Amino acid sequence: MRMSVKLTTQAYCKMLLHAAKYPHCAVNGLLVAEKQKEKKKDSHSTPILCVDCIPLFHGTLALAPMLEVALTLIDTWCKENKYVIAGYYQANERTKDFRPNQVAEKVGARIAENFSEAAMIMVDSTRFTMGCYEPILAIYDHHENKWKCRDCNADCFEDWCEAQKITSALLEGRSYESLIDFDNHLDDLRNDWTNPEINKSVLHLC
Amino acid sequence: MGHVKEINVLIIVFTEMRDKLRKWREDNHRNSEQIVDVGEELINEHASKLGDDIWIIYEQVMIAALDCSRDDLAWTCLQELKKQFPGSQRVKRLAGMRLEALEKYEDASKQYDSILQDDPTNTAARKRKISILKAQGKSAEAIRELNEYLEQFVGDQEAWHELSELYINEHDYGKAAFCLEELMMTNPHNHLYCEQYAEVKYTQGGLENLELSRKYFAQALKLNNGNMRALFGLYMSASHIAASPKVNATVKKANVKYAAWATNQINRAYQLAGRGTKENKCSVKAVEEMLESMQITMS
Repeated sequence: MRMSVKLTTQAYCKMLLHAAKYPHCAVNGLLVAEKQKEKKKDSHSTPILCVDCIPLFHGTLALAPMLEVALTLIDTWCKENKYVIAGYYQANERTKDFRPNQVAEKVGARIAENFSEAAMIMVDSTRFTMGCYEPILAIYDHHENKWKCRDCNADCFEDWCEAQKITSALLEGRSYESLIDFDNHLDDLRNDWTNPEINKSVLHLC
Repeated sequence: MGHVKEINVLIIVFTEMRDKLRKWREDNHRNSEQIVDVGEELINEHASKLGDDIWIIYEQVMIAALDCSRDDLAWTCLQELKKQFPGSQRVKRLAGMRLEALEKYEDASKQYDSILQDDPTNTAARKRKISILKAQGKSAEAIRELNEYLEQFVGDQEAWHELSELYINEHDYGKAAFCLEELMMTNPHNHLYCEQYAEVKYTQGGLENLELSRKYFAQALKLNNGNMRALFGLYMSASHIAASPKVNATVKKANVKYAAWATNQINRAYQLAGRGTKENKCSVKAVEEMLESMQITMS
């Protein structure tokens, strides 16, 4: 049995902050997990924990060159930090549209080439509230070249109560104004896509 | 003495707020939450000091309020504008935008149709109608209408750019390239159009398109040597061409040189940016390693 992907508060938080920063745009990004040592024979023991989220682009997502740069650069960064790219998220431009499109499927498939348990996550903006009362994600797993949607509930989180509380607090505090995505980084290299300040805020609120 | 100082501070605060709004207007910034914050206070506390600026501020704040679901504020602004400019097409369009924000698309469309009845050349109303199609997910129709619009208003750059984006989202890169070619022709010094054109060509793929993309990334860099996307793009396209089995030794050698030059420039840019901050060191290192690893695949 395949184990589901779980999200930490930091990963969930930054995903939603990214979507909140650009409500009028499509946004996308990557999820990273800690690299597992030897894979156990019975691999259904531990779920994959996505510990962090790297926001990538906002606006036009369907162009290749900067995506390639980002994937390569972040892959290198992951190797240094013993992470692995474990997932991809996307929020579409139109609120009511939360189905994965060609971009999501392509990037998801590429990640799945290097990480078989990769997850593709679509953000459902119709349920996006400041209070974050329910998880607003649809998680897709790669099965036989198709993406199958899995139910997303509190079990998909390391600690849903914490995720809910902290994400809501950061949204209220407008932390999304200082969130940096890869696009912002390309505009000014001093902008840090690892978002250390927001990571600190999350830890501070834990 | 203290009383005078207080008034001076208030005047400074007021002028700062008004200047901020003006800058955001000029730069066409969509920082709607901030516009609402500053604008609402300006309108409520300082309306009398604004003079004739107040009308354009009402318009700016109204649009920002729609973005933030502040229908109360949008309504207030709209009423003031209606009172001051009765029968104005520009205000009618704002009323239409409010209907769009409330998702009353049919009513909004009727509003724009009534503007067009009085003034068939009203480009703003036509573009709003196309935006409605976009909002409803009717991309094919939006593309068709926008093409028709551009046949009539061939100089509308905003429209050409919007069309290029619509095509990109439909993965119709050839047509997106055509739109960007129009923009490059009329704006030969705009590095952003060059760079976007290069990105579209790169995405189209194939050796010929890659070489074109490299040329246009290089052109964008010539126009603005701070354009990081162009620099990265030059690096990526040259690297891919050099690594292609279809190119002869001369072409390969040339592209290896371009890629090496770009590598140098990229590393320099990161060194410059990373100066003084220890957090950025990780970015610098990651870039160096990424460039090194790609060198291996090229040779």
